[in-house]
Amino acid sequence: MQFDSFTFVVFFAAVLAAYNALRGWNARKWLLLGASYLFYAAWNPPFLLLLLGSTTLDWWIAQRIDTAPSQRARKRWLTATLIVNLGVLALFKYNRWLLANLSAVLALGGVHYVPAPPDIVLPIGISFYTFHSLSYCIDIYRQKFSPTRNWRDYALYVAFFPQLVAGPITRFPQMRPQIETPRSTTRAGLGTGLALLVLGLFEKCVLADGVFAPVADAFFGAATPPAGAAAWAGVLAFSGQIYCDFAGYSTCALGAALALGFELPVNFRAPYAAIGFSDFWRRWHISLSSWLRDYLYVPLGGNRRGRARTYANLLLTMLIGGLWHGAAWTFVLWGGLHGAYLAIERALREHVWGEREAAAPLRFLYGLVTLFFVVLAWVWFRAPGFAAGAAATRSLFASGTAALDVSQQLALLLFAALVGAHWLMRERDLRALPARVPAPLLGAALGLLLAAIVLAPGDTHAFIYFQF
Amino acid sequence: MRSSTSSSDPAHPGPRWGLAWLVALLVAAALVGAVERYWRAQGYRPNIRDSAQLWSIERDRADRAGAKIPLVLLGASRIEFGIDMKLLAQLLPRYRPLMLAQNAHYPLAALRDLAMDEAFHGVVLCDLEANALVPAYRDMQQPLIDYHRHEWAPSWRVHRTLLTLWQKHAVVADPDLGVVASAQRLLAGTAPPRPEYFRFHADRSGDIDYSHTDVAAAKRHFAEVLQQSEQLHGDATPEAWRTGLPEVYEWTRRIQARGGSVIFYQSPTGETLRRIDALRYPPAEYWDRFVADSPAPVIDGGAEPALTQFQLPDDSHLDYRDKPGYTRALVDVLVARGVVQR
Repeated sequence: MQFDSFTFVVFFAAVLAAYNALRGWNARKWLLLGASYLFYAAWNPPFLLLLLGSTTLDWWIAQRIDTAPSQRARKRWLTATLIVNLGVLALFKYNRWLLANLSAVLALGGVHYVPAPPDIVLPIGISFYTFHSLSYCIDIYRQKFSPTRNWRDYALYVAFFPQLVAGPITRFPQMRPQIETPRSTTRAGLGTGLALLVLGLFEKCVLADGVFAPVADAFFGAATPPAGAAAWAGVLAFSGQIYCDFAGYSTCALGAALALGFELPVNFRAPYAAIGFSDFWRRWHISLSSWLRDYLYVPLGGNRRGRARTYANLLLTMLIGGLWHGAAWTFVLWGGLHGAYLAIERALREHVWGEREAAAPLRFLYGLVTLFFVVLAWVWFRAPGFAAGAAATRSLFASGTAALDVSQQLALLLFAALVGAHWLMRERDLRALPARVPAPLLGAALGLLLAAIVLAPGDTHAFIYFQF
Repeated sequence: MRSSTSSSDPAHPGPRWGLAWLVALLVAAALVGAVERYWRAQGYRPNIRDSAQLWSIERDRADRAGAKIPLVLLGASRIEFGIDMKLLAQLLPRYRPLMLAQNAHYPLAALRDLAMDEAFHGVVLCDLEANALVPAYRDMQQPLIDYHRHEWAPSWRVHRTLLTLWQKHAVVADPDLGVVASAQRLLAGTAPPRPEYFRFHADRSGDIDYSHTDVAAAKRHFAEVLQQSEQLHGDATPEAWRTGLPEVYEWTRRIQARGGSVIFYQSPTGETLRRIDALRYPPAEYWDRFVADSPAPVIDGGAEPALTQFQLPDDSHLDYRDKPGYTRALVDVLVARGVVQR
């Protein structure tokens, strides 16, 4: 179920009440696990079996890795879990893409092979819970911690409903002490958690769905995209939409968890105020970028094997990160662009800029340059194909005479406000903000956000990152 | 790892949350209440918004087993705004009437969906006209079916049920009166939309209140179209139009083979509209060909005096006050033709 649905309001109120009515910690954990499975099954009940199977298998394999008598045996178990998890991901998420590419490759050799597209539905959140499971097994293999013997605790780590379908992608050491130590709802946790839920829903319902999505959809849905200012309005609107949609979900996830006494890692930290591309990836989808760093970039050799290899590793990591987002070459290109940005930035740091701290105006200027190229890359994330992406990019630099309509003007105004807010919040933690504001003022601000959510009805859009 | 939510909660000591949330709820309630009052004072009334989710709730009911036979109404606006569903259920107590028609969308995709659904064994009353059988218009309702097949889920059922309840009681549930639309109107300096003259019920049937519309303008529009009649053509040649018929018959036979039945029905229209249709689709080349080979009964409402007695203010749709009378008359015709039983 989605956070921005009446179903979730009823579900969350019931879970919160039952959770606090129960005394024993074990009973509460069973309740959370049951609620998490209900949350997941509410989309497509049969896929709950896949989640249960994947969870149980990885929990069992992790113990086999831990107790294996030799390094070779440990590696065999790790390979098994990698094959199973990535195989399931390939089957459900990449089957069409792989078959289409196979056809294309065979066609190059003169072989005509066009298989019927398999009728397989993508299980929601599969990329997220697969990454949870993989990080757990890999860390056990690396002997970073010992596996839990308790199936329920592991299952709760994977399936905890606030983060189950769109992250943040937590690591077991982050969640283990929270799962193993009794906790309950506190007044501050509930107050902050509900405030984060309201803020996240405001970002999603009012900004992403209400203001940005219609402008972005009109631009990317046009047979011939409008040029000039209208093109920039469309692309900037998508930049606002993707942030407010995904950060809105993460903020809701943090809030729901906090209300239950759990703390999830922050997933976004004012990314549109990033100064440089490596800074951007320390602020955007932090749990994914750190996952890719720890389980892909570093094992590939990171920056330890010379410059050329470092650049290649950066590029490969971002290409795979792009592909993680969706089974399409446009996502790979988006990842590749960011890989190139990171490599170029690294080269400039090594050869031109050095390690000197730049003056504030220069840093601000570089922040704007970063935003410009991040926005350019979003075109490929949103475009339905290469031709559409190329046309959209061209339209940004073509001259257009069409005046902006009010929906475009409003989207641009609010995107500018969003970027301004990111610069203001660049070094601040959102969760610490309420402590500095008098209660009546905070209440009035929350009341305004709440009223705006109620007064922004419309079609309920799935969160964009659910498809990943 | 530190826990921000332990009882002492050093990470987020925060403000007095009880007071903050009390103020928040009061502010939100006051604002929403004030906006609701404002729109009501302007003449707006709560209205249910039709959607793929509302359609999906009814679609599920078509497959539900039970003592009553599903009676599925397919079509576009004429049947959606013409039938009193509660009265229909009373008049035909052996049936469970369901509204799957969609305003401004022809129904063949929905007929195909029911035909391919082995769980469906009910009766289909499919309201169509020659234009609805143009192959290019076949998939108009397909997005609803795709939604039902691929996105509809138990959680959405709960959501839509509660949303319907909210829309029944709150004017501010209308997106056109929302904060974003209002901000855009403020920027553009434009007026809010006129209060709607049509309303939907939770069962997806609708009411049109013609006392709130410019009926004369609608009639003038049709008259202008008629004046240009020499340029009027159908959207498919007779040959192209007929290429789609075998499949429609095949779907009909599939439903019949499972013990269900299909009734094709053409709602009555006003004189001007009838003349336009006759020019675009000469019956001898179109409709009569469909009727001749149809494996299911075809009822022409325009040829039934009991049905043509009702005034159609815009030449196409009934005023909601005439719905009960029209529903009774239609049931009488269906029973008399032996296609449904009381």
